[in-house]
Formats: sequence, structure tokens, C-alpha cells
Amino acid sequence: MNWRRTLLIIALLTPGLGVIVIMIGSVFYVAVMQSFGFYNLVGEESFSLEHWQKVLDSKQFSRALRYSAYIATVAAIGSVTLAYPIAIWLRRPFRGSLVISALLKAPLFVPGLVASFLFLNVIAFHGIVNQFMMWIGVTDAPIRLQNDRGAWGVVFLQLWKNMPFALLLLTGAVQSISDEVLDAARDLGAGSFARFRKIIAPLTVQAMQAALIIIFIGAAGDFAFQVTAGPTNVQSMAQYMVFLKDSFGRWNQAAVVGVSLMVLALCGSLVLAVLSRALLRSGNRW
Amino acid sequence: MVEIAATETATATKPKNPARKVGLLNRALMVLLLTVVTIWLVVPFTMAVLWSLVDPKTGWEYPDLLPPSLTILRWVEVWTTTALPQAIANSYMLAPTVAVTTLILASPTAYCFARFDFPGKGFAQVLTLLPLVVPGFVLAIFFSSLIFSLGIYSRFLSILMAHCVLFLPYAIRIMTVSFGQVRQDLIDAARDLGARPIAVFRAAYMPALLPGILASLIIVFIQSIEEFAIAFIVGAPNFTTIPSILYSYLGYNFIRPNAAVVSLILVVPNVLLMLGLERLLKSANPAQAGGKG
Amino acid sequence: MTALRSIDVSKVFEDGFTALADITLSIEPGEFVTLLGPSGCGKTTLLKIFAGFYEPTTGRIEQDGKDVTNAPPEKRDTAMCFQSYALFPHLSVAENIEFGPKQNKVNRDERLTRLNDLLRQVDLEQHRHKLPNKLSGGQQQRVALARALAMRPSVVLFDEPLSNLDAKLRESVRREIRGLQREFGFTAIYVTHDQSEALAMSDRVVVLNGGRIEQIGAPEEVYQRPDTAFVADFIGSANLLPFQRVDDHVVETALGRLTVSGPPDDAAGFLCWRPEHAEYGVTEGDNVVNAAVSELAYQGSYTDLHISPPGVPDQRLHWPGPASGVSDQVTFRLPPEHIRFVRGKLG
Ligand SMILES: Nc1ncnc2c1ncn2[C@@H]1O[C@H](COP(=O)(O)OP(=O)(O)OP(=O)(O)O)[C@@H](O)[C@H]1O
Ligand SMILES: [Mg+2]
Repeated sequence: MNWRRTLLIIALLTPGLGVIVIMIGSVFYVAVMQSFGFYNLVGEESFSLEHWQKVLDSKQFSRALRYSAYIATVAAIGSVTLAYPIAIWLRRPFRGSLVISALLKAPLFVPGLVASFLFLNVIAFHGIVNQFMMWIGVTDAPIRLQNDRGAWGVVFLQLWKNMPFALLLLTGAVQSISDEVLDAARDLGAGSFARFRKIIAPLTVQAMQAALIIIFIGAAGDFAFQVTAGPTNVQSMAQYMVFLKDSFGRWNQAAVVGVSLMVLALCGSLVLAVLSRALLRSGNRW
Repeated sequence: MVEIAATETATATKPKNPARKVGLLNRALMVLLLTVVTIWLVVPFTMAVLWSLVDPKTGWEYPDLLPPSLTILRWVEVWTTTALPQAIANSYMLAPTVAVTTLILASPTAYCFARFDFPGKGFAQVLTLLPLVVPGFVLAIFFSSLIFSLGIYSRFLSILMAHCVLFLPYAIRIMTVSFGQVRQDLIDAARDLGARPIAVFRAAYMPALLPGILASLIIVFIQSIEEFAIAFIVGAPNFTTIPSILYSYLGYNFIRPNAAVVSLILVVPNVLLMLGLERLLKSANPAQAGGKG
Repeated sequence: MTALRSIDVSKVFEDGFTALADITLSIEPGEFVTLLGPSGCGKTTLLKIFAGFYEPTTGRIEQDGKDVTNAPPEKRDTAMCFQSYALFPHLSVAENIEFGPKQNKVNRDERLTRLNDLLRQVDLEQHRHKLPNKLSGGQQQRVALARALAMRPSVVLFDEPLSNLDAKLRESVRREIRGLQREFGFTAIYVTHDQSEALAMSDRVVVLNGGRIEQIGAPEEVYQRPDTAFVADFIGSANLLPFQRVDDHVVETALGRLTVSGPPDDAAGFLCWRPEHAEYGVTEGDNVVNAAVSELAYQGSYTDLHISPPGVPDQRLHWPGPASGVSDQVTFRLPPEHIRFVRGKLG
């Protein structure tokens, strides 16, 4: 490759990829440095592990970490589990299948805060859920469902928002498997579950991993759903980070939480990716 | 009798007519799904519309299944007494700027990905996805920290920068596909016929790129309008956007009718744009089919 | 006992299209039967009914005397070889071949024996760990074959298995399929629209047209003694000629008055004769025709001549020898024993 071509390629990549790498790199750098006591807005700068110690020792942090990891795992695995059967069902077009897939994907285009609000209305005191429960006689008076302690509301919202995304990725992947390959598997004696495990899942593993990872990262960093619909006795990582920054400007500790959140996102996605592949492996050799 | 007994063994355990069963199953599944989708979409949006029309004098209290009376008073009130008009102006000024800037930044990289082969291209393409995998609030907070230390004080400019970076992956992806659909034989033919670069661009590039350009503009526009983390962290408290206003009605002081109004203002243009995008992608298909040749 | 039997099978798709009508067919164990017919005549549909992918709209399917009409493919003792091979792209050659036995819980030792035997038989031993996309078309076809045979099925269904291969390779895979069939003794139903393939491979040929059976018979039978105009034309493109009956042994045609060996069934209809049956060098007597040559095409071992009698399709003749030996006029004789009456008409 000659140098003029190299220069041209670099010049072409700079405004797009270059900007991304520089900006994300600097943000990452600032976060890491701030967590070690640099980049202070006020006061002197020096390397210290004090912020890490403080945060890691706090009970709030470990609860937030566990909570966010839990929500993210449930959101990722739940969305993919719900989306798979629907994607397989919609694999071959039939009358009405387009309408159905459009309706199912609609939540993709509803902003998170709006989704929260819609949900809060439905579960409100005289929302439809309470009305219904009273109508069938489960309760005599409306009950408070908002900000439930089990975080069911947040989980529901995550699934509502992320299942369509998983469906989008999986439908494409599932549709690219040819009919004849599935017919061949059937002909060789594979029932529907065996076909899923041995043929469909391995052939769509990349889409599945992409869905798992992106949903996991998004849900791990969730703020909007947690603040509006989540339990009040525990904070999510993003919420905790914003809280640290806003109360007395504890930027360095916020940075520690931010870096931890990134580590959580990274580890979580790695684990999910490796696990999904390993599961398939074990399914194939027996 | 004898014949029935003979065939019995083969058919006893199996459904009589699987093909018809599948048809029925699909029908049943569809009915079930449509019900679920109604609950999933129609009910929530209806409730939002109703709430935005609740008459403040009569309210909508627990035993009533529907609000006793409806008015558009809330809409007027929210419009005249809150910062919503300013937020709408901010959002709708920001989003088109972000959409156009992102497209301009993305195009060279997309062109490069689509039409050059170089070592490390796969890695470079993965790198463009970075903004998608950094949690939004982490990006927002430390971006604001970076902005402070760089001494940039324009909120508009800061959010513009952050949004561009955040949405570049979408624009690059879409435009890479579009550039890939430009047909080399058309370029060659146009040049062979002595066309100048501008004419070559119009004849060979434009038809393939146009759907991608529009799709990229629309998607980035929508994303920028509804983006909350950066607009909230970097913009607060001076620069409000529609999602920050909505957040303020959902957070500490929960004002349901106001939130309903803002939610609808946020989501309705989205739906319209999405419908536009859908048509665009459909109309782009014949061009694609022709482009395979 | 028959290996496979279809009784009055018809198939009407959801859109109301009738793909098959009244298909009654009995196939003996170990037989090699070819389904031959033009594109869209329902060959694949019939094969899929035998395999269990489609359920017939009416009629029954029996295998070894048992009714299997409603049995799904995974429960049938048939294995299918697909036109596109349909190999599992994520599994190696060996894993593809082992797929069926694993699904059917064949024990490990037996599985490995079958695998190794088959790999040797289709000559893919050194490719056993490769993924399908790393193999050539012919190799992929052989994997598909081995995968079907690993099930030890009593019936193997082939859907145009050679259509993606070039002519040379076709020849050898064809021989391989026949060889394996003799060795394993399975019953084969083989779909093709290539008549030479059908004639070369089969014990019996089933000619399908528009979802109906036109004729069933041994290769020589359908070639030499076509029952219908369609079969005559489709297999070896015989010449078709309308006739009017004069008496039991004479008919009137566009080529003149012809003597025939048997009486025609009807007062008018079609007769057929084959291009290679024209005799040259006879200028006197019965059935001698003299006509202008309208077109000629050199074919190597013979030259293809066309004559255009008024009002009937072009008639073709095989002239032994090069085109240079042909003059504007050709004189030939149609031996009465090679003139055959057929039912129906073209199109
Ligand atoms: N699922 C279906 N619904 C409606 N019509 C169908 C369906 N499948 C096949 N057909 C129609 O049935 C007829 C027979 O199809 P089939 O695939 O059996 O043809 P074929 O003989 O295998 O042709 P080819 O040689 O081209 O493979 C065709 O006209 C086809 O269009
Ligand atoms: Mg076919």
C-alpha cells in the first residue's frame, strides 16, 4: 500500500472514526483519572486511592452494583428469551405478520421517559391494572404498585423497551436460515426443540450475542426507568453516580462509580457472550 | 373396522391434520398477540391522551373509569406557563443541527469503509461502535467534566458535540451501506461519457445515496430529540430540552397531566417521522434490487 | 409388499392451486424410480408428500404397508437429498453426517462405524473436519448423500441432486448414487427434469405433467412406446404429426399417405416417430417422403435436419454424417413399425 493511499484513508477516517475515538477516549481518560484524584474542578490534584476505597467500602455502592447487575442480566436474558419464539414464529411471512412485527417493534421508538410515564399511568392508583384487579376481586381497594420493592416495574419496562430490539436483530438472523436446512434437520429426525438448539440457535448466535450485550450495557447504565419507576430503597449505578456528583460535587467518587459501571458493562457482556457460546457447544457435543 | 385398526397405530399419537393445525395455531396466536399489543400500546397511549385532557376543575379521581370532563386547558396552561416552548425551540434547533453535522462527519468514513480495503478495517468498523457501548450517563457526566476543564461554556455547542459522537455509529453504518450500493459500472459509464465530477456524482452517487442520507438524517434527528442523559447533565439547568422538561414532571414533583402533555409532544412527531422512514426504506428497495445487477 | 405407495393423492395449496391430482403409484423395495417432468409439474411437491413435509389434500401414503399419511418427516423412515444440499453450515462434514444418527439415539460405536464407512465410500475421509463452505459442489453433494444414508433409511428421496453440478461431475456422482443404491439396497425416488438422467439411472420412470401422471414404465418403454403426445415430445423429442384415418393400415398426413402397422384408435389424432428412425437411400415404395430441407444443424455424430410440411410442426430427422452431404431436398422412408399413435395433443 503506498503512502498516498494511506494518507487518504487516514484523512477519510478522521472526521468520523477519529472524532469517536478521541472523544470517547478522552471521556474514558477523564473518568479514570478523576477516580484517582486528578482533574479536580477545585482543590489540588494528586494520585490517591482514597476515592476508590471510600466508594468500594460503602454499602450503597455494593447494593447499587448488585442491583444494576441483576436488572441488566434479567433484561438481557429475558428480552432474548421472549424474542426468540416470536422471531421463529415470524420467520415465514403469513397474513398479518408484517402488522404484528411492526406493532411489536413500536416500543423501539418510544423514548424511555415516555415509556416510564405510560407505565406509571397504567399502574396508577386508578390505572387500568388496579381497576382490573378490583373488578376480578383480587383486592377491594387500589394498591400502590409504583416504585415496587421487587423492581418488577423496572424489569417490565426494560423488557418492554428491549424485547423489540432483540426481536429486530433475531428476526433478521432467523430469516436468513434457509427453509431447506430446517427441512433437512426435520427429515433427519430433529423435533422442534432439537431444531432450535442444534440449528437455529447456533446459526443465530452472533445476533443473539449482539442483542445480549447491547441490552445488558443499556440496562446496566439505566437511569430514567430506575428514577421514575424503580424501588426507592436502592439506587442503580447511574443514579448513584449522579447522586454523588450532585450532592456536594463528589466528582471523584462519581468517577469511581462510573468506571465501575463500565467494568460491569464490559464483564457482564463478556460473560454473557462466552456463556451463550459455551451453552451451544455443550449442546452440540454429547 | 379392520382397516381402521390397521391405520390406527400410525395415526393415534399424531395430530390428524398438522397443516390445518398450524393455520389455526397462527390464527389463535395472532388474536392473542393483537390483544397483548392492544394492552401493550393502545391502552397506555389512550390513558396518556386522556390525562392530558383532564379538566383541572373536576380532576380524575379513583372511582371514575373515565375523566368526568375533558378540556384542552392543560395544553394551553403548559404552553403558556412553563418553559416548554423554549424547550421545544431548543430541541428542534439542536436536532437538525446534530443530524446534518453527524451526516457530514460520517460520510467520509463511510465512503472509506464502503470503497476501500485496508488492513485493520474490521477493527476500525468495530471501533465506530464505541459510543454505543459506553453507558449514557457515564458519557454524560465525564463529558461535562471534560467540557469544564476545556473551558467550553456554550451548552448548545457542548450538547451538539456529544450528540454527534453518540449518533455517529448509526450514520456511519447507514452511509456505509449506501456507498456500497453505488454501482461502479455507473460511475465508469458516466466518466466514459465524459461527465465532469459533479455530473458523475449526480448520475452515479446521488440515486444510491439519497435514501441513506434521508434515513440517517431522520434516525439521528429522532435520537437527538429524545436523548436524555447528555441533554440533562450537560444542559441543566440553563438549556432545557423536551426530555428534561418531561423528567422534571416525572421526578420530584410528579404532575401527571403536564407529563401527559409533554409525553405526547415528544412522541407524536417521532411516530410521524418513523412512518416517513418506513416509506423511505420501502421506496429504497427497488433501487437496491436494481443495484445488484 | 410395496416399499412406498401413494393412493389417489392430490395436493391443493392454500391459494387454491392444484399441484397434484390423482397420483397413484406403487414402488417396490430396492427399486430406483425417477419422477420426470417439466418445471412446475409437481415433482418436488410429490417428493415432499412422501417425505412428510406436506400433507396430501386427499389420498393416502403407505410405507411398508403402514399408513404414514399424517406422520411428520422426523418420524418417517425416509431421508431426503435436497437440491441445494441443505448442509448445516455450522457443522463439520463428520458432524453433518452424524446428525441423523444422533437424533435417532444410535449408539456411539455404531455411529462411528457408519461415519467412517460412509466417509470412505464417498471418498471424503481427508475432509471430515472441514465446514461445508470449504468444499466443492461435488463434495458437498456427496456429504449430503452420506448424511442421508447415515440414517440407514429404507427410502431415499432425491430432489434434483445433480442440477448444480457441471456435466462431467454429474456423470460420476450419478454412477456413485447408483453404486451406493445397489450396495445399501435402499429404495430410491429420484426427481429430475433431465430426461437422459432419467433414462440412464432408473428402473422405472414416472412422467408427470401438470400435476398428473402421464405414463409409468421402464426407460425403454417410455422412450420406445410413449402413450401420450406429451411423453413422446418430452422424452427425446419425437416428431408429432396429425393424421386422418383412411383405413386400418393407412393414414393421411401432411407428409402424405402413410402405411401403419396397427389400426389407429380414433378417426383422427397424433402419431409420432423419432428422428433417428428415418431411413435413407430408399426412393421407392411405401412411406417414402420427399421434402425440402428448411434448416440444418451439425451435431457431431449426425446432422439435425428440419422439414416444414405446411400446417404442422417442423419434423426433425437425423442425417448420419456431416452437413456438407445434405442437399436441398431429402428423401427418406418412415418404417411402419416405428410409427406410433399417441393420445392427447401438445400444450
Ligand atoms: N406452497 C405453495 N403454495 C402454492 N403453490 C405452490 C406451493 N409450492 C409449490 N407451488 C406450486 O406448485 C407447482 C409445483 O411445484 P413444485 O415445486 O412441485 O414443482 P417442480 O416440479 O419441483 O418444479 P422444478 O422442476 O422447477 O423444481 C408449481 O406451479 C408451484 O408454483
Ligand atoms: Mg422442484
